[in-house]
Amino acid sequence: MITKTIRCPSCKTEITISGNPNEKIDITCSNCNLKGFFRLPSAQTDDRINTNSFAIEVKGLSKMFKDLKAVDNLSFNVRKGEIYGLLGPNGAGKTTTIKAILSLIHSNSGQIKINGFDIKTNGIEARRSVGFLPERVAFYNNLTPLQTMNFFCELWGVDKSIAKPTLTEVGLIDAINRKVGTFSKGMVQLLGVAQVMIGKPPVYILDEPMGGLDARWVKTIREKIKWLNEQGATILFSSHILSEVENLCDRVAIINKGRLIAEDTVANLNKYLKIKPRLSILIKGLDGKVPDKIKELDGVELVEANKDILFVTCEPNIRSKVIITLEKEGYKIVDIKTIEPSLEDAFIKLIEFEGGDN
Amino acid sequence: MSFINPKTIFTISKKELLDNIRNRWIILLTVIFIILIITFSYVAGGGREDLFGDMEASVTTMMAISSLLIPLIAIILGFSTISGEAESGALYVVLSYPVRRIEVLLGKLLGLGSVIIISILLGFGFGGIVIALTTGSSSWTGYIGFIFLSIFLGFIYLSLAMCISSYCKRRITSIGGGIVLFFWSLIYGTVMMAVLFASGQPINSILTGDLPEWFINSAVFSPSDMHQTAVYRAFGQSAVTFDAGGGGGITSIPIPEFLNLGNLLIAHFIWFIIPLVLAYFLFKRRDI
Repeated sequence: MITKTIRCPSCKTEITISGNPNEKIDITCSNCNLKGFFRLPSAQTDDRINTNSFAIEVKGLSKMFKDLKAVDNLSFNVRKGEIYGLLGPNGAGKTTTIKAILSLIHSNSGQIKINGFDIKTNGIEARRSVGFLPERVAFYNNLTPLQTMNFFCELWGVDKSIAKPTLTEVGLIDAINRKVGTFSKGMVQLLGVAQVMIGKPPVYILDEPMGGLDARWVKTIREKIKWLNEQGATILFSSHILSEVENLCDRVAIINKGRLIAEDTVANLNKYLKIKPRLSILIKGLDGKVPDKIKELDGVELVEANKDILFVTCEPNIRSKVIITLEKEGYKIVDIKTIEPSLEDAFIKLIEFEGGDN
Repeated sequence: MSFINPKTIFTISKKELLDNIRNRWIILLTVIFIILIITFSYVAGGGREDLFGDMEASVTTMMAISSLLIPLIAIILGFSTISGEAESGALYVVLSYPVRRIEVLLGKLLGLGSVIIISILLGFGFGGIVIALTTGSSSWTGYIGFIFLSIFLGFIYLSLAMCISSYCKRRITSIGGGIVLFFWSLIYGTVMMAVLFASGQPINSILTGDLPEWFINSAVFSPSDMHQTAVYRAFGQSAVTFDAGGGGGITSIPIPEFLNLGNLLIAHFIWFIIPLVLAYFLFKRRDI
């Protein structure tokens, strides 16, 4: 008897089926009534198929730092070929999880596999399957980027001839003879990206790859991630900013206080969380009074006033209606800003959903 | 199965050598070292022939410099090699590669050790040439023994410094550890002196050389003293002679039989291997 959970190809609803090995089972989706069949795997290959379909498996990972539980019984799987976002506020346990996957830190309990290799019993093979870009990347200040790349090529066991083309690709070829110690933060990050690519590993782990970089670098890094994924690589990356992972991740896991609180596609998560951007409107002489007409508008969820600033939480498509209504009513609008929903908002929502975290 | 990959060790050591050859502190110290060694060997060998005049005497003088500067170079090379790179983040990248921590540790030891070997060979090579030119002296086997023992001293301090670096969480704390390590021989000497006087020895026994054997044998607990005794032994001497000043003439302290070259080399090896093994276990268990 084999039990398997699959997802409806149309509406992604999870369906659990069970039967004998190799049995063909007819299914009807309970949600969208899509009809189809699924052939269960043979008994012997079941395990192999399962392990082979995941690039990273984390099972029951826990890590204590003295009295602090940094990661608490965390489990998630990254499927081969997907971009997986690990989201959480600062101190949620993202970096600890990533470090545990790479055996940079020793977990208190749990099992981790990269590309099917257990990191404890087969660490070398596990790490041969993964390229890592740490949050605070640093190299050797006295070496040039070319010397640094040659060193990492040797460490990977790949031919050094790829060092120069890779530096060209990330745009560091002009700085090839400068010491890394003279590099800006963005350039060091690019060197980090270059070193991560030399082994052409099937899995990439990037810890806050866009953290602290300006918009131009963020765009470059995003494009690089997309490009690597198109080449067939699996990517796990962490972030504490929701907008960074939107349109980039296939799935995201949200963790807080070392625990997984949600795992889904970004679109589903947004729907589930129902977080909307807020309009911040500076109005001359508002003086803390909320205009009644705005409250009555369809699609407006929340209106708050703080001195001369009016905060309106609403559906994006009625933003212009809000502005027009305000002008009609004779309010003098000085400035308009959109405040994107922050991950912290998402956490508050999620914690509410969980019925209180503590 | 876990095997050590020599290629990884070689790659790491080459990188350490390359990185530190361009480290200005190491360049500065090596230059100072070379200049002092040349000057001392000239002064001792040629300039004051009445007092010294041969290679052994030159070495005695050179040793005063080398037993201070070699530990200093080794400590500067090793004190932050793990704690500093863990703090900066360079170690995150290296350890995420398909490498074992023992390979990284041994690679660092060999790479940083070769920086020490280069400094010593440069310094003592030039020093030896100057001595040969000014005195035409002969005890080359003793001199080669001196060079070997100096390298050994460097590796002892390197191993100790790497042990401190593996233990300390941050670069700044390992600086403290490095300073204590550098002054250890001095601290230890002072403590032993206090023990000596407390045991009822007269204060002027230090000057007359009338010292109990246990006191001299305790040199094995101070790498620098142990090293100097071994150098005397390498030149076939069985007593340390020096002019204590104050018109007392030349004082001679016989080296006890326990401190023969064989035992001293064993003591050297223990000082080298124990911190290294400790460094390995600390580094292996460390959360980076």
